[in-house]
Amino acid sequence: MTPFLSVLTSVVAWVVAMLVVASVAVIGPARLRETWSGLRDRLWDARRAVAVVCAVLIASAVGRPPLLDVSRLFGLQATAFIYGLEGGFVAWVQATFATPALTAYFSWVYVYGYAFLLAFPPVAYLALPRTTTFSRVLVAYALNYGIGLVLYTAVFAHGPRNVMPDMVTPLLFTTQPDVMALTSEVNVNSNVFPSLHTSLSVTVGTFAVLTHEEYPRWTPVAVPLSLSVVVATMYLGIHWLTDVVAGFALAFGSVALAYRLVEPRSDPGVPRDGPEDDQPPSEPNASD
Amino acid sequence: MNRTAAVAGLLAAVAGFGTGFLVDFTALGLRFRLPLSPTRGAPRRAGAPAAERHLRRLASALGRPDGVGATALGATTAQKRYTERLKTGGNVRMTRSISRRAALAGLGLAAASAGCLGRTENIAGRDPPEQLTLEINATPADADPNGIRIARQLEEHLTAVGIDVRLNTVGQTDLWRKVLINQNFDLYVGQFVETEPFDPDALYGLTHSRFVAESGWQNPFGLTEMAVDDLLERQRRAAGRDRDDAVDALQETVCELQPFSVVAFPDALTAVQESRFDGWTEDRQPLSVTGLLELDDVAADGSGGGGSATNASAGGVETTTDAAAADATGDALRLVTTDDRITENWNPIAAEYRNHGTFTGLLYDPLVRADGDEFFPWLATGWERVDETTLDVTLREAWWHDGEPVTASDVAFTYAFLRDTSLGNVETPVPTPRFRGRSSVVEGARARDESTVRLTVADVNETVAARALRVPILPEHVWSERTGAATIAGFEFDFETTEAIVSNNPDPVGSGPLRFVEATAGESVAFERNPDHFLVRSTPEDDADASGETADPRAGVPSRYHGKPAFDRLRIEVLPSDISAVESVAEGLADATVSNLGPESVPRIGRSADARLVSGRSAAFYHVGYNVRRSPLSNPRFRAVIARLIDKTAIVDGAFDGYARAATSPLAASSADVPESVAWADGSDPVHPFFDDGGSLDVAAAREALREIGYRFDGEGRLLSRGR
Repeated sequence: MTPFLSVLTSVVAWVVAMLVVASVAVIGPARLRETWSGLRDRLWDARRAVAVVCAVLIASAVGRPPLLDVSRLFGLQATAFIYGLEGGFVAWVQATFATPALTAYFSWVYVYGYAFLLAFPPVAYLALPRTTTFSRVLVAYALNYGIGLVLYTAVFAHGPRNVMPDMVTPLLFTTQPDVMALTSEVNVNSNVFPSLHTSLSVTVGTFAVLTHEEYPRWTPVAVPLSLSVVVATMYLGIHWLTDVVAGFALAFGSVALAYRLVEPRSDPGVPRDGPEDDQPPSEPNASD
Repeated sequence: MNRTAAVAGLLAAVAGFGTGFLVDFTALGLRFRLPLSPTRGAPRRAGAPAAERHLRRLASALGRPDGVGATALGATTAQKRYTERLKTGGNVRMTRSISRRAALAGLGLAAASAGCLGRTENIAGRDPPEQLTLEINATPADADPNGIRIARQLEEHLTAVGIDVRLNTVGQTDLWRKVLINQNFDLYVGQFVETEPFDPDALYGLTHSRFVAESGWQNPFGLTEMAVDDLLERQRRAAGRDRDDAVDALQETVCELQPFSVVAFPDALTAVQESRFDGWTEDRQPLSVTGLLELDDVAADGSGGGGSATNASAGGVETTTDAAAADATGDALRLVTTDDRITENWNPIAAEYRNHGTFTGLLYDPLVRADGDEFFPWLATGWERVDETTLDVTLREAWWHDGEPVTASDVAFTYAFLRDTSLGNVETPVPTPRFRGRSSVVEGARARDESTVRLTVADVNETVAARALRVPILPEHVWSERTGAATIAGFEFDFETTEAIVSNNPDPVGSGPLRFVEATAGESVAFERNPDHFLVRSTPEDDADASGETADPRAGVPSRYHGKPAFDRLRIEVLPSDISAVESVAEGLADATVSNLGPESVPRIGRSADARLVSGRSAAFYHVGYNVRRSPLSNPRFRAVIARLIDKTAIVDGAFDGYARAATSPLAASSADVPESVAWADGSDPVHPFFDDGGSLDVAAAREALREIGYRFDGEGRLLSRGR
C-alpha cells in the first residue's frame, strides 16, 4: 500500500529527527551517555511496566477488529446523544478559527506532533536515574489504551465530520489525504469516544508538569504541544467536544492510577538502605 | 336508560356540583371524572346510575353530619369530600390557572387530605403530553457523503418546527438491518436499490400491503392503503394506455400519501482512469452490471476472446497468487469503494449487505437482462407466453462455477426458493428480502425437461412478466442445503429466518461472467472472468459461419457484450473515504471509484491529468423513508408536512453540488410517463412544496400547517404528542 508506506516513512523520519533534537536539548548529552550505559539495568528494573504496556498494545491490535463488531452490534449508539448534547460546537470552532495556516499547523500536530509527543517521554524518563517515572508513564499509557479500548467497545459513535459534513470539513483528509491511509490503519471512524489523542497527549502534558524539576525545558514544549493536539482533534472535525472532555478525564484518571500503582522506590544503584524502602529492591511495585 | 341519565344530570346540576363529578368504579379500582352535562355521549349514560347512587350515598351521609357509631369515620370522610367538591366546583377558574407543575407539587399534600384524592388522581392519572421525538437514521459521511447531508437538513428543519430530533448515524449494514429487517426506525435516509431506470412495477414490492408482515425491501414502510394496492394490481394486469393510466394514478396516490419522500435522483459520479479501460457509460450509472460488461480494454488488440484466462478453468480449487501484484500488471480492473460489504458477503438475497447488487449481479445470471427499455435473453435463450398464466422459458447451455450444468430444475428451484427460502421447512414461509415483488409474479415453476421450465404466472402484462425473469438464478445443489432454520452454534432461535438469508454465501457458486477468487474481509475482494461463460465461449471465428445461428452460444445477446468482460480480473479495494478513493484513481492506483462521491472529492478529479469524472443519471433515488406503522408518521397528513420541510432544491445545490435532479415521483428517471401533477417543475414540488421563505424554512407556515391538521404546540413552541 504505497500511500500508507509513504506516510509511515515520513512520520518515522519526523519523529526520529525531533527525538534527536529534543534528547540533546532536554535531556542533555551527559545524561544520555549515562542512560546508555545503564540501559539494560533500568529496563530490567521497569520490566513489569514494559510488559504491561506491550501486552495492552498487542491486545489492542489483536482485539480491535472483533471488538469493533461487538461495539457495532451491542455498543451504546451514542452519536445522536452526543450530537444532541453539544450540537454544532465543532462546526463553530471551524467556522470561527479556520485559516490555511492553522489548518496546516493542526494537521501537522495531529499526526507528527502527536507521534513525537508520545515517543519522547519514555526516552526522557528512562534517562532519569530512578525508573519510577518511566514505569509510571508506561503504566499510564497502558491504562489509556486499555480503558480506551473498553470505552470504544461500549460506545459506538461517529465523529462530527461524519455527522455534519455540510458544516464540518474533514480538514485533515482534505489537506493531506494520504494521512487517511495511516489513520484508517490504526483506527476506524466509529471509535471517537473518548478521544485517545486527547487522553494520551494530556497524559504526557500532565507528566511534563509533574516532572518539571527534572526536565524544566520539557514542560514548556509538552504542554502547548499537547493542548494543540487537543484542539486539533476538534479543529480537524475528527472528535466531539464530549470526546475531548472524556479524554481529559481518562488522562487524569490514568495518571492518578499510575501514581498509585507504581510507588517510588530506591534507586537501583543504591543499596537497600533507602528510608522508604520496605520491600526488596528487585521487586518493582507495579502490582496492586 | 336515557331518562335515568337525564335525571342524573338534572340532579347534579341542582345539587350544584358544577361540571365535573366523581364516580367510584370500585370494581375497576379506578376513578374517572364524569362530566354530567346531558348533551355528551355514551360513557356518561353508562356511568349515570352509579352517579345517582353516589349522590344518594352522599346525601344520606350529609343527613347525619356526625354519623352514628361505627360509621362515624366514613361519614366524616364523605362530608369532607362533599365540601371539597363544593370548593373545587366554585373555584374551577382558579385551579385551571394554576400550572400543572404547581398542582403536582401539591400532590402529596392533597393526597394526605384524603378528601380530594380522587380529583388529584384524575389529574395525575393523565399522562402529560410530551415533545414529539423522531429519530433519523443515516449512514456516516464516510460511507455516503450525500445521504447524511439530506438527514442534516431535515434534522434542522424538524428541530425548527419544534420536534426533538435524534440524528443517528449507523453503518450501511446496520442501517438496512434496522430499517428493512427489524423495521425499528422512525425515519431513514437512503437510496433505492435499482440504479437502472426501472419499470413502475418496482413500486409493487415497495408499497403493496400484502408484504406488510415481511422483512426486507418489500414494503419497508409498512404502508397499508387499499387505493395503492388496487392501482398496483391494475398496472400489473392492464396493458397499453390502461396501464399508463393506472401508473399515472399510482404515482399521484403514492406522492399524495408519501410513505417515503423522493428527494433527488443523483448523478452517479465516478472518477475513472481511462488509460486502461474505456467505454464508461455516460447516460446511466457507469458502475452497473451492464456498464462494467460494456467496458473495453484500451490496450487490447482483439484478444478479447478469453484466451488469457484458460489457466484458471480447472474449477473447484483456485490457484492463490499474489493478487495485488498480478492486478497491477495484468488485465485487471481495479475498483475502489468505501463500502466493505462486498468483501465479506456475497449473498444475492441478503438485503442488508447489498447496495445495488452490482457485483452479485455479475456472479449470478438472470434469465433475462434489461438495458434501458431493451429486454434481451441472458441465461435463457428465449421465453414464450403460452397462455394467460403460463410462460415457457428455454435455457442456454451454461455451467455453474463449480462445473455443474445449469438446468431447468435450478430455475424452478429458484422461484420456489425466492417465495419461501425454507421450502416448507419452517412453519411459515420465509420469503427473500430482495426480489420479492418480482417473485410474487411467479406462482409456480416446473421443469419440463433439462432446458425448459414452465412458469405459472399471475394474470400480468408482458412487461411485468419479463421483469419477473430478472431474478438471479441460484444453483439448487448449493442453496437447497440452506433451507433450514438459521441457527447459532446449533441452537435454533425463533428468528423466522433461514440459513439461506443469513449466510454470507462464502465461495459463491453462480453462473455469471465473473467468479469469486478470494477476499480479505474489510479490505479487498477479487473476482475473475468465468472462462466457461457463454459470453466468452464463442465458437471460433473461422467456423462460426459453418455452425450457423442455432449453435451460437450467445444468440439473442447484444453484440456489445460478446467476449466480455474486457478484464481478466476484477479487484475491489476498500478505502476509508470518497476522498481517498478519488486520490487513489488520480494517482493511477485504481481504475474507477464505485461508491458515491461527495462535493469535496469531485473537484479533486479535475486536478489530476489522468483521471476523469464520468457521470450518468442513476435511478437509485435518495429518499426519506417513514415508518408508517408508528404514530404520528402513520398520519399521511403529518407525513405530507414533513415532506414539505425538505428543501430539495437546496439539497441538490448544496449536498450534491448540482449533480442530482430533484424529483417528486419515484418514477422520474424511468421511461414511464410522469403525469404533470407529480412532475417537478419550476424548481418546486407540485404536491408537497417546500415551506419556502426566501430560501429558508418558513417556520411559522410549517407550524400553522401542523396546527391545521390537529397538532398542538406548548408555550415554548414544542410539538406535543401523546402515547409515545
